[in-house]
Amino acid sequence: MFKKLIRNSRMKSPWLLHFDCGSCNGCDIEVLACLTPVYDVERFGIINVGNPMHADLFLVTGTVNSRNSMVLRNLYEQMPNPKIVVAIGSCGLSGGIFREAYNVVGGVDKIIPVDVYVPGCPAKPEAIIDGVVTGLQKYDRIVN
Amino acid sequence: MEKLTFILIVLPFLSAIFCYITPYRKIRSSIVMATAFLLIMSSLMLIRITPFSFSPITVLGADIHHIVLILDFLILFLIFYFGIKHHHLLIIIFAILQIVLLGYLEYFMIKEQTVSPIFYCDSLSLIMILIISIVGSIICIQSIPYMKNHEEHLGLRISREPRFFGVMLLFLGAMNGLVLSNDLLFLYFFFEITTLCSFLLIGHDNTERTIRNAVRALWMNSLGGALFIIALVILNSQIGALDMQKIIHTPKAGLWFLPIALLCFAAFTKSAQFPFQSWLLGAMVAPTPVSALLHSSTMVKIGVYLVLRLGPAIQGTFLTHCVAIFGAFTFLAAAALAVGQSNGKKVLAYSTISNLGLIFACAGINSSAAITAGILLIIFHAITKALLFLCVGVIEQHIESRDIEDMRGLYSKMPVTALITVIGVITMIMPPFGLLLGKWMAIEAASRNIIVIIVLALGSALTVMYWARWAGILMSDPFAGKFKTEKQPILTWVSLVSLCLGATLLSMISPWLYSWMIIPIFNEKYLQSYIVTRGILENPSGSFAVIPLSILALIGFFVSVLAVRKALRARVVPPYLSGVQLSEPGTFLGPMNQPVKAEAKNYYLSSIFGEQRLTIWVNLVAMVLITMLIGGAL
Amino acid sequence: MSMSMQILLVVLGVVAGPLIGGLIGGLDRIITARFQSRVGPPVLQPFYDVNKLLAKEYTVVNAWQAFCAYSYLAASMISVALFFLQSDMLVIYFVQAVGAIFLVVGALSSTSPYSQIGAHRELLQMLAYEPLLVLVIIGIYIETGSFKISAVYSWDKPLLLKLPFLFVVLGYALTIKLRKSPFDLSTSHHAHQELVKGVTTDYSGPLLGLIEIAHWYDVVLFLCFCSLFWATNIAGMIILISITYFLEILIDNVSARMTWRWMLGNVWAIGLTLSLVNLIWLYQQ
Ligand code: SF4
Repeated sequence: MFKKLIRNSRMKSPWLLHFDCGSCNGCDIEVLACLTPVYDVERFGIINVGNPMHADLFLVTGTVNSRNSMVLRNLYEQMPNPKIVVAIGSCGLSGGIFREAYNVVGGVDKIIPVDVYVPGCPAKPEAIIDGVVTGLQKYDRIVN
Repeated sequence: MEKLTFILIVLPFLSAIFCYITPYRKIRSSIVMATAFLLIMSSLMLIRITPFSFSPITVLGADIHHIVLILDFLILFLIFYFGIKHHHLLIIIFAILQIVLLGYLEYFMIKEQTVSPIFYCDSLSLIMILIISIVGSIICIQSIPYMKNHEEHLGLRISREPRFFGVMLLFLGAMNGLVLSNDLLFLYFFFEITTLCSFLLIGHDNTERTIRNAVRALWMNSLGGALFIIALVILNSQIGALDMQKIIHTPKAGLWFLPIALLCFAAFTKSAQFPFQSWLLGAMVAPTPVSALLHSSTMVKIGVYLVLRLGPAIQGTFLTHCVAIFGAFTFLAAAALAVGQSNGKKVLAYSTISNLGLIFACAGINSSAAITAGILLIIFHAITKALLFLCVGVIEQHIESRDIEDMRGLYSKMPVTALITVIGVITMIMPPFGLLLGKWMAIEAASRNIIVIIVLALGSALTVMYWARWAGILMSDPFAGKFKTEKQPILTWVSLVSLCLGATLLSMISPWLYSWMIIPIFNEKYLQSYIVTRGILENPSGSFAVIPLSILALIGFFVSVLAVRKALRARVVPPYLSGVQLSEPGTFLGPMNQPVKAEAKNYYLSSIFGEQRLTIWVNLVAMVLITMLIGGAL
Repeated sequence: MSMSMQILLVVLGVVAGPLIGGLIGGLDRIITARFQSRVGPPVLQPFYDVNKLLAKEYTVVNAWQAFCAYSYLAASMISVALFFLQSDMLVIYFVQAVGAIFLVVGALSSTSPYSQIGAHRELLQMLAYEPLLVLVIIGIYIETGSFKISAVYSWDKPLLLKLPFLFVVLGYALTIKLRKSPFDLSTSHHAHQELVKGVTTDYSGPLLGLIEIAHWYDVVLFLCFCSLFWATNIAGMIILISITYFLEILIDNVSARMTWRWMLGNVWAIGLTLSLVNLIWLYQQ
């Protein structure tokens, strides 16, 4: 019962950290759009905390390059477990249109493990919300 | 009784002489320790026989009055000599004034000695003696390793330690004498010795800066001495006696209040209240044990002791009202100035002034609850401040700085000292510790006085501000791992730990402290204020559950300690630095891939609370208040 | 009051405190959402949050944070318990200040500039509201003749009628303590743009959960203080608290965050003037 309570609480209170990892800002705008009253994600208990120490969800947009890969890893490590990583947009998935650039490492999963991939250029707010909800299913599989 | 007082007053003088002439450090240290031990023991034994009074006729085979008189003139001429040596006109003037007045008083006014008893000891004196003898002795013990380090650091060829310890011990004797004296001439004599000791110790390092500050202290304290002797002359002509007990109980008439107001004024100079705070701030150049002993726990308490003593005489008058407002104002102003400081010793100095102001305010409110508050504040302030000064001394010798900013993350360098400092700070501002108990009583006692209470409310908020940030900074370092130990001389540990225990454990028994030591002070003029039941201090309008709160605090403390132990096993993450932190704590990756140190400084709000900005106005207001006090007494 | 009654009250305070505090938090979030034409989270949302936080991985920046978080919680709990024991108001005020100090000390123990600055802002907030709170307590004392809360409850007239300005002053303190705009300088429920999460930045997981619970206790304590102003009957108390809290939410939603200079100047100037006026009235009687 206790486990169920915890699982339930986790599902109902995902606090998110949004990191712009070298995106063209298209996906960022869509992510922020989710947080506006139009989509009102606070219905699901989602709050943008902007701080890895408090966050459960890590929304990453854009490609990873050799400079910001360190930041991505740092932020990921500062998040306490259990945590879910959602990569957003073609860039976050694979490097997108910047894939060929000399400084680009590639998608987010080159650096940290990714749980959900949300495609699109940019990804639509509905798709992002859907991605987050899908990610939350992961709590079912977490034992502790 | 005679033996005990002899040990308390005369023995330190004798050991001072021995210390001064011994060239060997070992012997000197053992003299200091033996004296400290004897002082502690005899002051404890004094508890049993208080109250008492007696008048010795001779001391060491000579007439006591003659000895005191000769030494008194000797001291005044010494001060005169220092005035000439350092070309300071004010000191010369005050010294001459005092010599003339003392001569006039002794040879023209006093026909025969009528004061009896010469020495009088009640609970108030006893409390002061315990503070002086115990806290003072502990500080002297800590100065043994401190001065050794100090001299090694300065690289002196001829040790100045004999002089140092001589003066320190001399001072202890003088303080004990001062609080025991009932004859005001004796009191004046000891008052002058402490002035001289303070001067000698501030100028101990013999650099240009220390001497300048010592001279400043000397002229301000001489002003106090001059006011004192003027007050004595007037008193003698008014009631024909210089007997403290008689003065307190004489009905008021004529110019009666003027001498009392002058004595209060003298007390303000001795306690470094505004506008005389500059001497205490300057005195911080002295070695730290000196600051601990003279400039926080004992000598500056002379002022508040005097006013508390005179309390029954001025009860219900305009004068006591003035003292209350003046004290409250000092409390607020000094706290505000402390907020603007980053120099650790200066923060301590301002906080001392501030607390003394609070005690003056209590003495001025002059109800039994307020007096109780004042005495509790005296006790706990002495212990905690001594502790904090000694800690800063140890820290300073280690990191070569007394700036609070440089103490960032001190925990990683000297964990035990840092912890003790934090405990010291906590006892300053948190319940159920004694200082807060005192502050609680002070606020409740002052609540009928609208000006005083508003000022106290503002002041106590400022106090919290400058202490809390200091405590936080000491711990400011990424840490989770093994506890480290640190090396310090054993005497340092003994003194720090005993003061630390004193500050915390004594707080827990403060209800009994109150019923044993403080209740006997109140005479018929005061109603007894608090009742002690099961460790709870209670009166009709309020209650402070000392023991239950202490127990809860202890439980909270242990739970928190357990939490720390658990946290030591937790995963350690670096502090948040927008994700660009490097493995080195507190640095981030800046432009061109260069590491940059992330710096955050405390808010000192110097645009509001800066020394330059506030001091003028504060001094102005203080002078107006003092003028009011003297004027009101006329 | 009998011993068993006292114990019952303490247990009630300690258990009911966070429950009420959490519920108030949930309602607050819903009402705020409605103000912004949103639906808002469920009422129990604060409990989900704290539950989740408590079950998260234990990470620390500095082990002393744990000490501070637990001490903060302990102090807040004790202050609420003391309130339910109807003890001395000034003592309660001092005990709750202990909690606030520990929160600050814990934040200072991290080297992150965000939490350092947050801690200093928290100190400035304390500087702003503490004197006001003392004056409110003094006002109650002058009126009822006692610092004990039991005396307030046995007073036969609502205090609000005699201390209207002091109630406004208490409102200032409440706004600061609830971390509402314009005084949400040190941290707030929402992400700060300039300060991440201010004073709580480097607390995470279970420790953050404890701090949240301690904050609930604080909220309850302050609302209890408000309720003293209409202590003659329960309905009056509840109505007074509800109106006050609703106004708090309204103020939160219509005002922007201000700087500490503005806060200190404003709160001291207005607060001290109002309390002075009100206290002078009382002294005149
Ligand atoms: S996926 Fe498209 S919109 Fe998103 S960051 Fe890449 S290029 Fe921009």
